[in-house]
Amino acid sequence: MLSHKKPPNIVEIQNVSYRRGKRAIFDGLNMNIPRGAVCAVMGPSGTGKTTLLNLITGQLLPNDGAVLFDGRAVCPCSRHGLYDMRRQIGVLFQDGALLTDLNVYENVAFPLREHTRLSELLIRQIVLMRLHSVGLRAAWQRMPSELSGGMARRVGLARALVMDPKLIIYDEPFTGLDPIAVGVILRLIRHTNDVLGITSIVVTHDVAEAEMLADLIFLISEGKVVASGSPAEMQQKDSAMVQQFMQGLADGPVPFHYPGASYADQLQTMSRP
Amino acid sequence: MSSESRAIDIGVGLFILLGLGSVIFLTTQTLGSTALSESTSYTLHAHFDHIGDLKVRAPVALAGVTIGRVSRISVDPINYQASVELRIDKTFNQFPIDTFASIATTGLLGGKYIELGPGGDEEVLQDQDEIEFTQSAILLENLIGKFMVNGKGDKDE
Amino acid sequence: MTRSLRDCWVSFGQFAATFGSFQMFSLRLLPYLPKAFLRPRLITDQIYSLGALSLVLIMFGGFFVGTVLALQSYSTLVEFGQVDALGAFASEALVRELGPVVAALLFAGRAGSAVASEVGLMRATNQLAAMELMAVDPMQRVIVPRFIAGVISVPLLAAIFCTMGVLGAYLVGVHLLGVDVGAFWSHIQDRVDLVDDVGSGLFKSFVFGISASLMGVYEGYNAAPNASGVSRAATRTVVITSVWILLFDFVLTGMTMPGV
Repeated sequence: MLSHKKPPNIVEIQNVSYRRGKRAIFDGLNMNIPRGAVCAVMGPSGTGKTTLLNLITGQLLPNDGAVLFDGRAVCPCSRHGLYDMRRQIGVLFQDGALLTDLNVYENVAFPLREHTRLSELLIRQIVLMRLHSVGLRAAWQRMPSELSGGMARRVGLARALVMDPKLIIYDEPFTGLDPIAVGVILRLIRHTNDVLGITSIVVTHDVAEAEMLADLIFLISEGKVVASGSPAEMQQKDSAMVQQFMQGLADGPVPFHYPGASYADQLQTMSRP
Repeated sequence: MSSESRAIDIGVGLFILLGLGSVIFLTTQTLGSTALSESTSYTLHAHFDHIGDLKVRAPVALAGVTIGRVSRISVDPINYQASVELRIDKTFNQFPIDTFASIATTGLLGGKYIELGPGGDEEVLQDQDEIEFTQSAILLENLIGKFMVNGKGDKDE
Repeated sequence: MTRSLRDCWVSFGQFAATFGSFQMFSLRLLPYLPKAFLRPRLITDQIYSLGALSLVLIMFGGFFVGTVLALQSYSTLVEFGQVDALGAFASEALVRELGPVVAALLFAGRAGSAVASEVGLMRATNQLAAMELMAVDPMQRVIVPRFIAGVISVPLLAAIFCTMGVLGAYLVGVHLLGVDVGAFWSHIQDRVDLVDDVGSGLFKSFVFGISASLMGVYEGYNAAPNASGVSRAATRTVVITSVWILLFDFVLTGMTMPGV
């Protein structure tokens, strides 16, 4: 067996273009996710953050360029290879995406039951350990409908961790949560990343949380990474776009008004019968 | 968890049993079975020139009251008559040997049944005996045919 | 005028596209079928929720269709003095037509729509995507077990429907209207044929079962991921399946009718 040096970046996005219809969502996107870091991917709504997630997990194929995971190209051409790769990636959806007909315990056990032939005893140990690490061991019998938003996300995290992934992707983990739950999720993301020695990608538009949490922030706008760096560096950038986003200003490069004809013109045209 | 999956197992099992039971019911229903059991009935035989559309399980009546069923219909290969097997309730086992069996019709176009008319003999019919005196079904077509021929003749005279 | 023509053309195009994608979906389903039987647990769970939980509705429906059939046919048959044929009349109608058709329609309303909305909701709440990302194929795990369970359940439900119908006709015919017991059953035995009637009825309900189950999983799987998409999927399942069942019924009746 060849001694294989691990590439320093677990995910490399090389000059990726992706078009939906005629609209270019990404146009020459470059992004490297270093191993072991918590990276926040930020950007105004509609910049294709979820599309990025789908490109990394191989649900979508870029029109141009390449996505590498752990040194290998992500390619939906072979279902087997794709599924092999996905077992090394955990994804936490916005609402947890728990399977509604299974209880908390079975939800966390689901990947184990689908992919392994472990004994019931071993499964129980792994599941309870993961549930304990998110603080929900005692809630194992609850159904997903009986969980609060924050709890559902924590169960989703336990499920994403159960196959020992190398990379975890969080899709908008803070939206719609109360401050306590946000604090819990923040702590969990940092804690699991450092304790398990994995890499985390957090897709979010919550600036405060991203600054608190991330080692590295990528700001995406109009199909490109417009700025990247540590939270402190980001605050220093004098680009108008970065400042508007980081400060949360209503008007700037992203205009307050939806682009269109001027107010006066529209009043005139619409008053005509 | 396990009690829940047990409930599902039982539900599915009952459902499939019920479904297969229904299939069997529909199947056997088309293949026929005997109505009167061996122990409560006895068998008589009768030959007819023509049985019309008499069917297996058609009623056998005495004075209009059903006392048995037609259990089998076949053709006698020797004399080309229809051979009919009747299963009759054991309560009515005192039929004289000169009892008369005729094929009658319920209503004008109704189904056929066998009407028994008791005779006056001392001796009674036993199990597996043959009813000697029979009258075939009255075929409506024949009656109409005769009527038309006769009616025409009447006019000619 | 030209606009309505163009709308017509567009909606025809949409219809063709939907039909094509439905065909592709059916073809995609095929290779999964044999592997599904390696995990019978998933199928039995679905037989429970699709078949066993439809039992009460089916038995109720079958019984009352049978009773109504007996009452209606009695009023006609009594004019011709043929009331003895009531059992044959009712059970032949049940076994050949009403059993498979009405049972499949009830199944589409009860279970087909439930499958569509369940799978559609799994789509809307990202459960299917989550499975996909956990390297679990939703076709194998969610879609195929539901389809197979439906195909197994519908003929059984149709048989139960017919049996309840015959019992209903028996109760009304014999105990209420005074048809002779023996005549009732003997006419059934005489008229109802094992292959031509029971066999063709079961074959029909097998075909209906395939269409109802396929439609349910297809509509659910391709539902728009929002609340109105889910409810549309359920509605479309019932409507399209009903149309299909009635259409197939005509075709299959023509095919299986002796002497046609």
